[in-house]
Amino acid sequence: MTTAPAHSTVSPMLVRLAGERATGALLRDHGTLYLADGRVVHAESPAAPGIDVLLTAGGRLPRAGWEEAVDRAGARREVGRFLVDSGRLGGGELEICHLGALFDAAYFALAPGSGPTRFRYGVAHWIGPVRPVSASAVERETRRRRELLDQVWPYAAVDTAPVRAREPAPGQAVTRRQRALLELADGVRTPLAIAWALGRPAFHTLLDIRRLAAAGLVETPAEPVAATPAAVPSWVATVSADPDIALLRRLRDALEASL
Amino acid sequence: MPGIDACLHEAMNLPGARGAAIVDWTSGLALGTAGESPNGDHEATAAETAELARAAAEYTAFAPAAAAGHKGPPVEDLIVTTRTGYHLLSFVETTFDSSVFLHLWLDRDTGNLALARLRLGQLAERLVLG
Repeated sequence: MTTAPAHSTVSPMLVRLAGERATGALLRDHGTLYLADGRVVHAESPAAPGIDVLLTAGGRLPRAGWEEAVDRAGARREVGRFLVDSGRLGGGELEICHLGALFDAAYFALAPGSGPTRFRYGVAHWIGPVRPVSASAVERETRRRRELLDQVWPYAAVDTAPVRAREPAPGQAVTRRQRALLELADGVRTPLAIAWALGRPAFHTLLDIRRLAAAGLVETPAEPVAATPAAVPSWVATVSADPDIALLRRLRDALEASL
Repeated sequence: MPGIDACLHEAMNLPGARGAAIVDWTSGLALGTAGESPNGDHEATAAETAELARAAAEYTAFAPAAAAGHKGPPVEDLIVTTRTGYHLLSFVETTFDSSVFLHLWLDRDTGNLALARLRLGQLAERLVLG
């Protein structure tokens, strides 16, 4: 594990906008963060299921109920409030669901991306104020999430590859939530497709897939390795006292290839 | 219409309450916090208690077959007793797919464990009823 990125800034522009208490939309390649008075009030990403998906996928809210709320309160940017006031959703439930969606989308929106970051001053999201969080909390959580994934299972390839379930070992237990996920692991759906189907946050699904891969219940696809040598190479003998992940991975690949 | 803050406020009004939080146990994210934290860092505490809650929520030993038809979490709450306090983790059952619990840290001398356990369960229910 490296410690260098722990204190680096996820988005210098977000820090600056928070400092000047800006209101508007921060547009990045992988998503958008909405700020009000420098605090994060909403986030969206094409990778992350929105609050509408989270609420309707499990049948909590009928799709028609959601659409009616958007129709009636969208123009005045108070959809969240309307859902609660009209009795469709509990106040705590809305906050829990919305915060889940916000941190989820922010994780992807703040992913290291290419291309410019833009800010549109004055833009507000139609969901309206729910429970604003500080920009620094969003930054910290995004960084923590990146590190958490690699702590669980340092193979990023499982995040994007179609998920293939493996037979549990004799006596190995599969839990209720894992089972729901494994049932959709048909070798075609990716972790993000499973997240959308289940109505679970995308990051949660990435994390669960990494946990399943670490437990051997999901296949870890081979990393694209250039021409794996046929025999165990000579550098194996010179493994240093401080082996890093990349080295261990190369070692594993070499050993597997020689079996 | 109790939201996260009202819920934490009520939890902190219980006798002997030192700190409270609402935590997501899949990710370890603190959705809201109040009062003190045992190690001085609410976010670190949330990540640690989430691991404990996840283990309890997922281990088959705590998921009796009789409750298999019930789609909510099989575990209602967890109690951890330390030399100086009690930690109560009460699972919140939402109607959408989530993984959230309430954490209340009580002083061992002034806290009332039985009362707190009852009230925290009620708070967890009311949080999602609106």
